[in-house]
Amino acid sequence: MSQEQVEILQRALKREKAARKAAEKILEEKSRELYFTSQRLEQLLEEKSSQLQGVFENIVDAYVVMDLQGNIIKFNEAATKLFGYDISREEINVVNLIYKEDYPYAISSFMELQNKAYFKNYEARVYTKSKEVKWVHINASLIFDKEKKPVAAQGIVRDITDQKASEEKLIASENRLASLVVNLDSGIVLEDENRSIVLTNNKFCDLFNIEAKPSDLIGMDCQAASEQNKVLFKNPDSFLQRMRVIDENKKTVLGDELEMLDGKILERNYIPIITGDTSKGYLWTFKDVTLNRTYRKSLEAQKQKYYSIIANMNLGLVEVNNNEEILMVNQSFEKISGFKQEEVLGKNARELFAIDGSSDVILKENVKRLKGESSSYEIKARNKAGEILYLLISGAPNYNIDGEVIGSIGIHLDITAIKNLEFQKEKLLSKLEKSNDELQEYAHIVSHDLKSPLRSIHALVSWLKEDNQGKLDDISIQNIGLIETTLEKMEQLITDVLNYSSVGAETSLKTEVDLNSLVNELVSILYIPDHIEIKSLNTLPNIIGDRTKLQQVFQNLISNSVKFIDKEHGSIIIDVEDLKSHYKFSIKDNGIGIEKKYHDKIFKIFHSLKKSKDSSGIGLSIVKKIINLHEGEIWLDSEPNVGSTFYFTLKK
Amino acid sequence: MLKKLKILLIEDDMIEIMKLNRTISTLKLDHKIIEANNGEEALEILEQKDNLPDVILLDLNMPKINGIEFLSILKKDDVLKYIPTIILTTSNNQKDLLECYKIGVAGYVLKPLKYEDYVSKIEKLLAYWSINELIVV
Repeated sequence: MSQEQVEILQRALKREKAARKAAEKILEEKSRELYFTSQRLEQLLEEKSSQLQGVFENIVDAYVVMDLQGNIIKFNEAATKLFGYDISREEINVVNLIYKEDYPYAISSFMELQNKAYFKNYEARVYTKSKEVKWVHINASLIFDKEKKPVAAQGIVRDITDQKASEEKLIASENRLASLVVNLDSGIVLEDENRSIVLTNNKFCDLFNIEAKPSDLIGMDCQAASEQNKVLFKNPDSFLQRMRVIDENKKTVLGDELEMLDGKILERNYIPIITGDTSKGYLWTFKDVTLNRTYRKSLEAQKQKYYSIIANMNLGLVEVNNNEEILMVNQSFEKISGFKQEEVLGKNARELFAIDGSSDVILKENVKRLKGESSSYEIKARNKAGEILYLLISGAPNYNIDGEVIGSIGIHLDITAIKNLEFQKEKLLSKLEKSNDELQEYAHIVSHDLKSPLRSIHALVSWLKEDNQGKLDDISIQNIGLIETTLEKMEQLITDVLNYSSVGAETSLKTEVDLNSLVNELVSILYIPDHIEIKSLNTLPNIIGDRTKLQQVFQNLISNSVKFIDKEHGSIIIDVEDLKSHYKFSIKDNGIGIEKKYHDKIFKIFHSLKKSKDSSGIGLSIVKKIINLHEGEIWLDSEPNVGSTFYFTLKK
Repeated sequence: MLKKLKILLIEDDMIEIMKLNRTISTLKLDHKIIEANNGEEALEILEQKDNLPDVILLDLNMPKINGIEFLSILKKDDVLKYIPTIILTTSNNQKDLLECYKIGVAGYVLKPLKYEDYVSKIEKLLAYWSINELIVV
């Protein structure tokens, strides 16, 4: 090795020595530095740990330390309070604390702790010493010894029972809200800014015949959906166009009406939902108002119908309040009264129209209305022109929706014409009565005046006969006899005419008449030849009537029968039959009979069939008149030469 | 035995007057007939209070004052009301009959058609009144 080489090596060694010395020096310094640092660190760490321990022990939340078997080693004050156990006196394992149902969750969380050395946001229920159940939130971690071996676990336990309860309430109310939305009677669609469906409900699907669950529609594009649905509407294009306009304006629209092809009418509302300044979407609601609309339409139709009935009926209608002030009149009443509605509104109806005591009538009626009674009455009134009217009013109380009487409604029928006719009739009747009386009087006077000369002639003829006794021949005496007979016939005629005219005029008292005894008496008084037998088949009834006149009926009919019996053995049979409202009498004889063609004629005055001394032809017409007065009829069955049966009815 | 009556006949018909006169003479009765053709005349006669009739025969159907009016006047008079008044008439009008009895009559006789019947009625009527006691004023 060369010097040079040795020198180089020596120099290099020297350099290396120096460098090592420098490095050692640096190392020494560094290690001293490190020592100090670690010293300080250790100090710091200790400080921090005790600091930390203090934090854990003094924090508001419960702090729990347990060994790996789950035995609780440490509870801070909050933990003691939370769980209720005093661990200095009793031993507790974490298993005692876990709520039964949450056990699996607890175990899995514990496994997580072992694997990852910590867990976070464990939320579960625990039992306290008094078996109260509490919700807790736990963050936990493992504690290691110096050899990094886990020795225990620590956790911070927060009581979240109250928070949990309010969360549940919130969920419950959200659920309620959700089910409300789902079951709402209106179809709703909530869409976001991009017109995607966020929320919809059953009713919406129903209304638009969508066969899907509301939840399936979430995320669908509203624009596309409405393009599809437009065919459901009567006017699809305007439906779409209107929707587009609404969408562009993004302003609330209420009460749009959509007519669908199936006849449904929908009411559509559009409401942007804005919280603060931010848009949360747009709410479309659809409501089926078909029923409302048709109700309203038919209600309107009904109203129109009654309105036109009231307006056009031929009866005046007036509505008044409880102060008799007119609230409404119809056209007919305007016509009747001569006033226009505007002239009478607010005026007192009674004071305006009623005259001659009708005011009192109305006041009495008003009392009835207040009691809720309806009634009809007549009043005398005056129209605008001052003419007198008679009105028949049918009044009824008018109620408000609370059932209180607020006035009355009167239907007015103008009966002036009828009333005038009535008055005219009354006048005529009294006139007729008077003239009947006069006629009666006249009949008597005339008959008196007619009879007087007859009597005088009779007296004079008698005197002629007397004064010329022996001087007159037989024929003259016979003729004088004929004069006397004629005079008698003439007198009878006058008497009968008078009787006939008296039948209707004398309004004698009607009493109960025992026809049985009446006829028996009659038979004993009348002249009945021996060859004629009179029989009654049944007891005759009692009847209300005029005794004298009824007697005349039986007398005339029986006498007629007697008169016209031509058989050797005469028979007159009297019978009666009970009809509902009348009695039917019959008087049957076996006389000469009457030809059919005379059956009507014989009841007419002066139609005697057989001219005879004692038949004036008035008898049967008087009988018919009396029977008619007793609301009966007379007729006959007869066969010439066999006999006749006269039937007549009398009202019971 | 039979009283002789002073009879006032109020009658406007001449033949009726003749009938009564003839009847009385035929029957040979001794009654005195005073004739009055109407009510006014009768009232004049009745003013002679010292010569009042015993009975009055009154026809209802007369001109001027009719029978019923005359009867009413009679019944209002304190003296004359006691004279029996018999209606002699053709009218069998129930109204007249009722009215006459209401005012006060002593009889109501209908004039029959036949003269013989008339004679018979008058005979009985006068016989009746001739046996009656009458008020003499």
